[in-house]
Amino acid sequence: MLKNYFKIAIAVLKRRKFFTFISLFGISFTLAILIVLTAFYDHLFSPGYPDYKRHRSLYVNSIVQEHSKHQSHNQGPPSLYFMQRFVTTLKTPEKVAISSIFGPTNTYVNNRKLVINIKYTNQAFWDVQEFRFLEGRPYSEQQIAAGEKVAVISRETRENYFGDAPAVTGRYIQTNNIQYRVIGVVDNVPKTLLYSYADMYLPYSLSATDMANKGYNGSYTAILLGRTAKDLGAMQAEYAAMISKVPLDTASFNSIQGSADTYLASFARVLGGKASGSSGVPRFIIYISIFVFLFMLLPTINLVNINTSRIMERSSEIGVRKAFGASSGTLAIQFIVENLILTFLGGLLGLLLSGVILAMVNSSRLIPNAHLTINFTVLAAFVLACLVFGLLSGVFPAWRMSRMQVVSALKAN
Amino acid sequence: MLKHLFKLIWNKKKQHFLLMVEILFSFLIMFAVFTLAVYNYKNYQRPMGFDHENVWALSYYDKDRSGADKDSLALFYEMVKRTISHAPEVAAVSFVSNNSPFTMSMNNSVITRNNKTAQVDHFSADDDYVGVLKPVLLKGRWYGRADDGAALEPIVVNRSFETMFFPGEDPVGKTIKVGDHDARIVGVVQDMKDKGDYKPLGPGLYQRTTRSSYSWLSRMLIRIKPGAGANFEGRLYKQVAGILQDATVEIEHLDEKRVVKNNITLIPLIVFGVIAGFLILNVSLGLFGVLWYTISKRKAEIGLRRAVGATGAGISRQVVSETLVLATISLVVGLFFAVQFPLLNVFFMEESVYYTAILLALLFIYALVVVCAFYPGRQAAGIYPAVALHED
Repeated sequence: MLKNYFKIAIAVLKRRKFFTFISLFGISFTLAILIVLTAFYDHLFSPGYPDYKRHRSLYVNSIVQEHSKHQSHNQGPPSLYFMQRFVTTLKTPEKVAISSIFGPTNTYVNNRKLVINIKYTNQAFWDVQEFRFLEGRPYSEQQIAAGEKVAVISRETRENYFGDAPAVTGRYIQTNNIQYRVIGVVDNVPKTLLYSYADMYLPYSLSATDMANKGYNGSYTAILLGRTAKDLGAMQAEYAAMISKVPLDTASFNSIQGSADTYLASFARVLGGKASGSSGVPRFIIYISIFVFLFMLLPTINLVNINTSRIMERSSEIGVRKAFGASSGTLAIQFIVENLILTFLGGLLGLLLSGVILAMVNSSRLIPNAHLTINFTVLAAFVLACLVFGLLSGVFPAWRMSRMQVVSALKAN
Repeated sequence: MLKHLFKLIWNKKKQHFLLMVEILFSFLIMFAVFTLAVYNYKNYQRPMGFDHENVWALSYYDKDRSGADKDSLALFYEMVKRTISHAPEVAAVSFVSNNSPFTMSMNNSVITRNNKTAQVDHFSADDDYVGVLKPVLLKGRWYGRADDGAALEPIVVNRSFETMFFPGEDPVGKTIKVGDHDARIVGVVQDMKDKGDYKPLGPGLYQRTTRSSYSWLSRMLIRIKPGAGANFEGRLYKQVAGILQDATVEIEHLDEKRVVKNNITLIPLIVFGVIAGFLILNVSLGLFGVLWYTISKRKAEIGLRRAVGATGAGISRQVVSETLVLATISLVVGLFFAVQFPLLNVFFMEESVYYTAILLALLFIYALVVVCAFYPGRQAAGIYPAVALHED
């Protein structure tokens, strides 16, 4: 039976080549764009190198200080001092990684300028983030305490600074007029990963500015790692209890708020600007859904239009089959199956097309060091989109067609 | 004639419903595309208002200096500035606040005058700013040594500031409250598009840095004489990093920062444009296909029209006009939605942007419909009455 439907579908596709082209074009491009967008979303928000433990991590990237009477408002990352006094001392998390938001410095190699983004971290950072070490190892607690001038650099920095040297551990890299001894080289991280990316990682004790800053505002983020995903609620509660007890350090503000959020929520919160309460993730998801729905609406209406025309063209076939006893239901199912076949064919083309587009995006270095791929999430989204798309554009024409009277169907031609 | 066409469409309203919805959505998408395009193009056309070529931004992020002695800080940083200006490759140096050209940071002050309140960009810069960025002075002068003993702090405002707070007046010499103290306006400069080529102009004021500003200043703009290259940059960096112990030092080129800043606006626009273009191409192919199909269904009617004397050109005109009437019905609905944007002032853009966009979108949709209907119309004109009538 299915084999028959398949044969009919192929025969119909071959008959009106222009219409087939329009349908396939619409489906394949719509799906290609959806896949590329999902790949971007996936790259930004799904766990990946080196941040594999996102399902049991909470992220802190800002605190909000306000004064209810003076209308003053300050939102920004907390300082190293704040993190060490209030956040690393939390009991529930297994480990707390703290690191500064990367800051640029320059170095000059053979009259060529090199911008090196520096991140200051603690030792737990290396346990929470699973970096691939190409050589060497991370700095230890003792090295941080002793203020040793040691650095972990990225592969890109090794290539730019040392050239093709095979091993650079033990050699010195100079930036900001300071010599750092390289003790490790890690694989590159794309710049879109705020909590992980840098060209050079240094012990936090080397940042004279941060060590001297005893205020609450600074440039640090924290990752709270739970033992299991079940700890997230308890960690969130502990963080909220902690922040409500933080003593105020200036007269210009009378409240401090903040919260530890999941990865996506930590960014949605900064965009939404709300310090506590709802993080704005539901709203974010609603916006995305509305966008995807609107985006798919036009190609779908178009496809329904084309399909209606095509099916009406086959009224004589419908008439004959109805006259010989086929029910409306059987016919409707046949046309829906035909449509699904067309959609999957278009989807397959779309998959190829998106592969080409992603390869182009990757080679254009739009996001340096990012490698966008069609992974399983994307593929699942693609199959689902195919199904929804096929059903949406198949249901209405099939319904109209199945209501046709035998007589009018036969007479129409 | 029009009544007749309308009747023809009305009789097949069910069949045409989806087509009309499609045209409606296409119109709304094109309205959005043209709104963005017109808005950004209008901003792009305006002059930059300053010269960013050969200007470097040198930032030094230092530890907290708020507790240090004001005079020793001033002495130290003035020495740094003098050292840099002495290099033969340097033309001028100015201390600036962090919201210098093509950065992400903003600094706003609320200004009130004659019952008018607005947020204005608040820049801080020293006397040599004029030599570094070369802003265009329209009235008065830039502040300088002459203001040293003045009772009121001197400020320079831009053109938008003047039109907003001093309509029909000369602002030079007037006083205005900035923060909690009065300041005297000494000059008016042309608006500077310091946030990128595609950003709108807005009111702004330039405040003179004082000896106490050195506790928070962390950037200098340096105008380099043409021809000084990476070699000099490396030497300058070493020199500055040597003087400013413990500070993180970074040198950036304003022309590179401008490209980065523009890309932040341009890339989303291009992505949106490509997606919209694909949707419209999709719609036009669909429209073309459906019209083509409809013509082949209407052979008998067209044959009859030819038989009673309609010319080929007349038939072709009829097909195109029918489609135009169809499009007009959806466009009237679309216009209802589009007009809400300027009426309710949704995104605070100028009204003229919306109206230009509506006009362009209307023209575009009509042109698209005519192009899509043209070939099916020609096809209809080619129908021979004898063949068509015989077929049925």
